[in-house]
Amino acid sequence: MKTIKLTVLPIVLLVLAGAGCATTPEPACSLPEGHNLRVAIETSKAQLTNGCEALFDAYFDRLMSVAEGDPKPRNKQTFSEFLEWTTDTGLLSRRQAQAYYNRYFNVKFMSLAGDYNNCSYTCPRQAELLTRMEEELSDKEQGLLRVSQDRDSYYRADQLLKETELVLAATCTACSAN
Amino acid sequence: MTKQTSFRGRPRGLLVLGLVLLGPVTATAATASASGPTIRLFPTTVLEDIRHTGAVAEEMESGLQSIISKLDQQQQLFVEAKCDGAEGDPGCEQIAKQLGATYLDMLTVMNDKLPDMERAVTSTRNSLEKRLRTEVGKKMTPWDLQENLLGNTAQAAAQANRPAMRGRSGLRLSERFRQYYSLVASGGGSTAEQSLTVVAADIYLDMDEASMLIARTQEEISRATLLEQLNQSFGVITPEMQEVVQGVKSILFGDFEGDAPISGPPPNDVQQAYSSPLEM
Repeated sequence: MKTIKLTVLPIVLLVLAGAGCATTPEPACSLPEGHNLRVAIETSKAQLTNGCEALFDAYFDRLMSVAEGDPKPRNKQTFSEFLEWTTDTGLLSRRQAQAYYNRYFNVKFMSLAGDYNNCSYTCPRQAELLTRMEEELSDKEQGLLRVSQDRDSYYRADQLLKETELVLAATCTACSAN
Repeated sequence: MTKQTSFRGRPRGLLVLGLVLLGPVTATAATASASGPTIRLFPTTVLEDIRHTGAVAEEMESGLQSIISKLDQQQQLFVEAKCDGAEGDPGCEQIAKQLGATYLDMLTVMNDKLPDMERAVTSTRNSLEKRLRTEVGKKMTPWDLQENLLGNTAQAAAQANRPAMRGRSGLRLSERFRQYYSLVASGGGSTAEQSLTVVAADIYLDMDEASMLIARTQEEISRATLLEQLNQSFGVITPEMQEVVQGVKSILFGDFEGDAPISGPPPNDVQQAYSSPLEM
């Protein structure tokens, strides 16, 4: 009797495990194809709400690539609405959505976010911060210039980076002279 | 800047130092416009320092202008008389000695004026240093700084007059300071404060660089003067001397093929049709 019990138990476990797998199929996450941004966004929305949220970065990158194929000022609003949708559905927090939007579509640099004064916070990590701003400028080039055709804002961001570099060089020299 | 070790190279070492010293002071000034500042980067004391530095620069220019004109004439005579390479010719030796003596005069004027320049530059630097540390370093976060640089209003107008940063424009030294002064003294007009922050940083870095180089130049002047006095015995006009005189002219009097500005202003209109609710 004891032998029968030992033989049956693994079989029961296997059956239960098999049943569990059957109730949660792997999501079919495939990045949107084609050149139509609206269609690509709708496809992405459907998949992101159907178990593919872990791949949000990849979906966002793909949407940006699709938008590059049809650059226009209206794209900025389209991405804003898409990101607002992500907060409405709980996919991203408001702060995360803002970080995405502003990194790509705003003149201001998210790399310059910080709650402490420049002498104590910015100056010790000046080089690192400027490197991050350079990287962000590259994303702004994509978002502002190649997706939204907003040359003025991109050039202003470029100018802002240069000005920040100059002012930080002076300010941090002044801070260290104290 | 490496110091020259050869006899013939020393005059050049001295004057090139002088040029490097004066060069940063000529960094491009700005004609920006400003709204009333909310941070105080340019109180009256700083303005007075800038005005005084300009006055000292003007004195230095005045002192050197006639000497440099004389050097030009002597140099022309030297060339026209085909003295280059004519060693042993008594007439050419005479011209060369006269050139060397004028060159010594130039060094003497520089030596006389540099202490005043040093005091003025140091004072301006110290005033701006304190202001930048307090107003930008301690009262602002990095986010505040970029908002200050961007400004909240009248971006297009501000950008049209935005200063090109740390370049050279070929202006006289005194004119450069006159521009700095009129720029920052016009507060309450339409000047954008974000531009003033950039200008303050620009002037401060120039002054910081200049004060270090003034000290080094003063050391070099003493040595070069002695060497040129010795050189008078031989009546040799070195190419280095010609080169540095040309350099002094270009820096002091703007006789200069300026580099392109590092940064030009962006296009005028940055108004955006769309403003996202996510925008920060």
